[in-house]
Amino acid sequence: MKFVKLIFVALGIILSGCTTTYSLVSPGAVAVDSLTVQIGSGWNRAPSTQTRSARSDAETWTKDGLLLDRLVIIPGVPDGESLLFLRSESAALPVFRADMLPNEIEELVESSMLKFFGEGNSVVSSEGLRPYRFGDHVGFMFEVDAIVSDSPRYRGLVGAFIANNELYILYYLAAVPYYFDKHLVEAQRAIQSAVLNQ
Amino acid sequence: MNTGRHRVLLATFLCICSAVLYAAEPEPLGHLIEPGYTPEDAADEQGLWLEIKEYERSLNQSALLVRQAELRNYIEGIVCRVAADYCNDFRVYLVRNPGFNASITATGMMQIWTGLIVRASSTDEIAAVVGHEIAHYTRLHSLQGFRRLKSQMASASVLDLGLTILTGVPVPLGQASALLNYLAFNRQQETEADLLGVQLVAAAAYDPHASYRVWNQLQQEEDAAAVKREKAGVFSQTHPNSEARAEYLLQYVSQEFGPADVEQVADQALLNILNNHYLFLMEDQLDTNRFGRTREILVRHTKLGVKPGLVNYFFGETYRQRGQPGDRELAIAAYTKSTESDGSPPQTFKNLGYLHLKAGDVPLAQKYFREYLEAQPDASDRAMIEFYLGDQES
Repeated sequence: MKFVKLIFVALGIILSGCTTTYSLVSPGAVAVDSLTVQIGSGWNRAPSTQTRSARSDAETWTKDGLLLDRLVIIPGVPDGESLLFLRSESAALPVFRADMLPNEIEELVESSMLKFFGEGNSVVSSEGLRPYRFGDHVGFMFEVDAIVSDSPRYRGLVGAFIANNELYILYYLAAVPYYFDKHLVEAQRAIQSAVLNQ
Repeated sequence: MNTGRHRVLLATFLCICSAVLYAAEPEPLGHLIEPGYTPEDAADEQGLWLEIKEYERSLNQSALLVRQAELRNYIEGIVCRVAADYCNDFRVYLVRNPGFNASITATGMMQIWTGLIVRASSTDEIAAVVGHEIAHYTRLHSLQGFRRLKSQMASASVLDLGLTILTGVPVPLGQASALLNYLAFNRQQETEADLLGVQLVAAAAYDPHASYRVWNQLQQEEDAAAVKREKAGVFSQTHPNSEARAEYLLQYVSQEFGPADVEQVADQALLNILNNHYLFLMEDQLDTNRFGRTREILVRHTKLGVKPGLVNYFFGETYRQRGQPGDRELAIAAYTKSTESDGSPPQTFKNLGYLHLKAGDVPLAQKYFREYLEAQPDASDRAMIEFYLGDQES
């Protein structure tokens, strides 16, 4: 009996960090760790069991399902860490360095997305790098395009800035042609509203 | 005295071993099917063809297929020359993938990854890989493998069921053994395809010595890699390893066709392909974030004679993106060399600008940024560059 109890306790501890169901993100100001974004309509927050390669402090939201669209918010990637987690030791994930310039962050995102979709199964490119101010921080934005084997083609919009030697990054990625356009205005508003909490 | 005796014994032993090895060498291989082959009446083979045709339809729609006529004609030309009478049996799909691979199905659907072109030092090496794939096709390897796995798995299931009844515990011993047996069979087929492939390549007047050079270069690339590929486990070793393949192919080719030519002639056909499509081919490789491998490929391209402006630009990219101590200086030197040579892309100026910006030399950075915008006035990142030129407020 004691043994069964122990198993339940262990399971409880193991599962405490996992959420298995989607939850509603209501319109208004939403805090994701040290970032705050403004959203005009509701999104669905994906459970960690559906976003296994995401950083533990990141959140992934969707309107029509993760295969069709996603808004990813990654607050504060420290120097030397990657934008995502992959189990394979041979994945050669690129890492963020605090002295990176916007063009290097653009390359970091491209390469990370390539690893996310599968090296060899995808080609990711980017364009339109331009400056953008997120609250008090000068950041930048750009577009991405991902051709993925056995999958729809994706387009994306990325916004990012560096503060206190950490990278804050938000991106919207959705299937083209329909879904990308469907939520672009809403996603763009959310990304551009991102500010670092005081 | 004893040492001499040991030497004689050792020599005798080696002679016996080589005699055994020689005797164990496979019979001369030939094709098992005629050109224009279609499935026999067997339902399993027809089913296999139907499945593959369905897959081929979806592959045809893939946005990852390379559509550039020059690249496709180059690869299709090699395939047709090696395939000879079997040329019309193949549909060739060039896939945008920086990895090293080619594959063939029982129906003649051949996929070749762009990473193969990037890694080749000559058209003969591409022909060697193509010859290997064609040999798989004409020896019906896919069908044989499919049938063998099916029959062994059926017997294995009966054995496993018996074991489960006897022990009361589900032990998939039969299936594991069937899988190991199948993998050994698979490796045997690979060797067979290697040897027949060499014959096809030689018959098409390509250099058969290219067959082992491919594997030697692949091994060199692996040695240069900072992050190694995961080694295949016992249950996934479908191919002999690169070293073993290079060794037995060298032995076989030298024996059958004599020693390799000492002088290597520049391969203009491959050079043209690389020079004309270098940017997208190498950008795909660079995006893998595998700098040791990329550098190894660039060293090969330098020797091959790819436009220095292009190769040095990618040396610069490799060092800049790797970002280790001393890499900034190496990158600046490589970019500068690129700008002084034929084929340098406009991005070279931009990245020189960024590197000098990082080093705190704003005037020099701005000089390069201006040169970039002059060379590429419609650059999609114009707003970012103008920001650094101070022409635009955020």
